[in-house]
Amino acid sequence: MPQVQSKPKTYDVVIVGSGAGGGVAAHVLALSGAKVCMLEAGDWYDCTKQSGMFQWPYNAPHRAARSKAKPFGYFDATLVGGWQVPGEPYTNAPGTDWRWWRARMLGGRTNHYGRISLRMGPYDFKSQSRDGKGFDWPIDYQDLAPYYDKAEELIGVFGTNEGLENTPDGKFQPPPAPRGYERVLKIACDKLEIPCIPSRMAILTQPLNNRPACHYCAQCGRACSANANFNSPGVHIFPAMKTGNLEVRTGAMAREVVAGPDGLARGVAYIDRKTRRDEAVYAKIVVLAASCCETARIMLNSKSGMFPNGIANSTGLVGRYLMDTVGSPVAGHLPLLEDLPPQNEDGVGGMHMYMPWWLYKEQKAGKLPFARGYHIELGGGRRQPAAGAFGGSDRILGGGYGLDLKRNLRKIYGANIYLDGRGEMIPNEDSYCEIDPDTVDQWGIPVLRFHFKWSQDEILQARHMQETFQQIIEAAGGKVLYKSGPEDNWGIANGGEIIHEVGATKMGDNPKTSVLNPYCQAWDCKNLFITDAAPFVTNADKNPTLTITALGWRTSEYIADQVKKRNLAV
Amino acid sequence: MKDISRRSVFHIIGSVPAVAALTGQAASAANGTYKRKIFDDRQWRTVHVLCDLIIPADEVSGSATEAGVPEFLDDWLDFRNREDGNENLTAQILGGLQWLDLESNRLFQAGFAGASPDQHKQILDRIAWPERAAAADLPWVAFFSEFRDLTASGFFSSKVGVADLPYLGNKAVVQWKGCDPKVWAIIEERMKNGYQGLGGEVKPLLS
Repeated sequence: MPQVQSKPKTYDVVIVGSGAGGGVAAHVLALSGAKVCMLEAGDWYDCTKQSGMFQWPYNAPHRAARSKAKPFGYFDATLVGGWQVPGEPYTNAPGTDWRWWRARMLGGRTNHYGRISLRMGPYDFKSQSRDGKGFDWPIDYQDLAPYYDKAEELIGVFGTNEGLENTPDGKFQPPPAPRGYERVLKIACDKLEIPCIPSRMAILTQPLNNRPACHYCAQCGRACSANANFNSPGVHIFPAMKTGNLEVRTGAMAREVVAGPDGLARGVAYIDRKTRRDEAVYAKIVVLAASCCETARIMLNSKSGMFPNGIANSTGLVGRYLMDTVGSPVAGHLPLLEDLPPQNEDGVGGMHMYMPWWLYKEQKAGKLPFARGYHIELGGGRRQPAAGAFGGSDRILGGGYGLDLKRNLRKIYGANIYLDGRGEMIPNEDSYCEIDPDTVDQWGIPVLRFHFKWSQDEILQARHMQETFQQIIEAAGGKVLYKSGPEDNWGIANGGEIIHEVGATKMGDNPKTSVLNPYCQAWDCKNLFITDAAPFVTNADKNPTLTITALGWRTSEYIADQVKKRNLAV
Repeated sequence: MKDISRRSVFHIIGSVPAVAALTGQAASAANGTYKRKIFDDRQWRTVHVLCDLIIPADEVSGSATEAGVPEFLDDWLDFRNREDGNENLTAQILGGLQWLDLESNRLFQAGFAGASPDQHKQILDRIAWPERAAAADLPWVAFFSEFRDLTASGFFSSKVGVADLPYLGNKAVVQWKGCDPKVWAIIEERMKNGYQGLGGEVKPLLS
């Protein structure tokens, strides 16, 4: 009998990662007719079957408390992952305390994220031209605006058109009405001339593409069994699979991009987590969307004769200009909200109102000691009680026990609020990731080592947050319960802690000073593209997911167009 | 922010911020099958008495022990021992329970669990209000504050406590309307009148 020789299948495109960036690339490319293979390191996940929605903390271990295995609480949608992934360490250089949240599952962090969906504004793309710091993007707002439109129309974002400076409006569904404490905070902000407007979140308030509107249980972080919020599997991947053009391989831990002697990518080598065997998938185009740092790690580990420093890294810039978001919270107690008739204050899974950055003119006039702005996020109300509820009540009640205490705890339920800043970090030379030569993970893949520093711009921004939030709480007739000061750098979060890591494979218009061209195509390897947040040049205060989606969409359309024009072989 | 991570701030407002499918059920207090991991018999009796002194039954709901708080506390200390990699919290709680017994014996020749309501009051009044406490009692004030927080959290996150508050969510709402107009009218009235609430002294915590 003659031996059958099977030639390995070659796909048009292989995508590494299934989160916001991988999902949008798979969606756009599969719908354009390309044969796509997606690799996901974690397991299959389907929110319509696996969500913990409507469960009660009293039926969960330790009242659904946070733990090392579940840092955001027992019900968080992150199946495997968190600040540590078992068997997959990373290291920090001396003096660095970088935090890296990874979610090993289909859809990655889109399953649990906050759904805040803010467009970057015109200034945000040209910030170096405005204040001399950092870099300009090689594209401007108008380049991305049509893709923001498409992204919002597909994923579904609520909000209102306000015409505010550098806060672009969008294609919005109607916003949910504000909760009581949100109206109180708006009145306080009005007094201080801080804009407070309906938030912009990727949660449906009207049905869209066979997805129902939100049912207002506030549990988006558990993943939505109704698929009413944006998540990459439910919105991007499953519809793309229906075309028959998308194959998803889970449990596929990408090791490196395989390059040919011509310097073109040939595919991706990966480890099958179940069998521990080395496998590879071959494709004419490789798209990395493994999340900013993991994408940099794969590139740095993709060494060959053509690419001794890692693929597409002739500049040595892969891993450089890593950024996170500036965060600094204040909590307060509003007596105004004590002892009110009970009502359901769940709403969507997050804020219904927020405060966009408002001090552009003061900043331009040199009146602020830091560059770049922040927006304010908020929360409070009669939340679902879980582990930790009513902690520190003595700071409101002075102490006590017995019938008085029980009655008073009931009265202060729902009367606490928090304000948390989300501000821009300027890229710096001291913040980057590289391969740690001494450490490998359980698959034998070299791991990342992080270096990270905030500059004075970020620290003074955190100070401004602290001062402003305390003013808002006081203007609302409240008292500050939790704040920070100079002794802890004004409460600035550790690098990575806000989970907005971006940068590391900067895009630009000069191949000597950037890794990617203005279409997120590697200068050194024309069939290698990146669609996660690694191409970001700066990290505006606008949470990254919507921009990942818009930029990834633009890159994917460019890929399809280049194939059509035969600039890329398929 | 050393010990208090940005995510911990959510504890202050009373809930876990972000919310995996339920794979197991917590040990049930109500069905009487709970197996103690931390407290011995003597401590167990003291814990019951102390929990109900902190959250007694009233016209709205049952007491802390009726809501399973002692079981919650025992399980919580065991959980924290494993999570924290140290037994500091357990040491503080057991140390405080022992002090209650020693002090009660010294003053009243009876263990805390066996002391009278008036005797309980004499001891708790020394440690239940941090600002008024004598310097010598401060370690036991810290113990009591911790115990009160755990009892309150255990009670109000229980099924009994959720109904007591009441927390009215965790269900599908067909049409979201925002703040109830009747509630908003009260808030607006309060804004006009400079409502002071319970008037409690709020002490900022510097992280």
